[in-house]
Amino acid sequence: MRFLKVRNMDINGFLFVFMLSTIMLNLVISLYGVFARPSLIKKIIALTILSDSGNVLAIAVGFRDWPSGWSPSTPPVLNVTSPKASDVVSFARVAVDPLPQALVLTAVVIGLAVMLFLVFLTLQIYRLYGTTDVRKVAKLKG
Amino acid sequence: MIEPKLISYLFMAVAGALSLIATYLAVIEKDLVKAVIYSAIQSTAYTILFYLLMAPDIALVYIPVAVGLYPAVVFFLIKKTERFEESG
Repeated sequence: MRFLKVRNMDINGFLFVFMLSTIMLNLVISLYGVFARPSLIKKIIALTILSDSGNVLAIAVGFRDWPSGWSPSTPPVLNVTSPKASDVVSFARVAVDPLPQALVLTAVVIGLAVMLFLVFLTLQIYRLYGTTDVRKVAKLKG
Repeated sequence: MIEPKLISYLFMAVAGALSLIATYLAVIEKDLVKAVIYSAIQSTAYTILFYLLMAPDIALVYIPVAVGLYPAVVFFLIKKTERFEESG
């Protein structure tokens, strides 16, 4: 039984590391999209994927239930109306770190504002130059 | 007997693989409408990841923003400009 538990733990670790590596590969692919694709709209799509991958990695940093085995974790929500000191202590023992979640919540909203700004910038470039291809925009004179 | 924790990590790995495939397709696709749809699929996979990484509040904010608002705004932009990316 003990051997089975250790083996399961190894499978968990493999799956978690696999998930983290797919997110990092997403970062690489979306960086390629931002730098190498010619269309400005494709660049906007790749930029949103880039920021969201960063957000997922930040949440994974605050996740306390990594397969190396720290403690069982719950969402950082205190579900008693008038908490005593013991409630707070047990809450701090099992809840995940809420700080990265607060940062990511802010980053999602700011990313939305930045994306809207880039959308209207692209629309204005299309109205002025008649194209959204950065190679054509770079060749224009004056 | 399968542990519940193993199922949770299995879902995390499946969502990661789905997001990887959707990101690759979104970046190489020439038709921008299809690229936006692939991007929405990738956002759905990220929502599953947020939920499994014990951040349900982020998942609640992220679903309407990334599956509803982002594609709507980019569809609006594509309608006003060009639909196809030229190969180069």
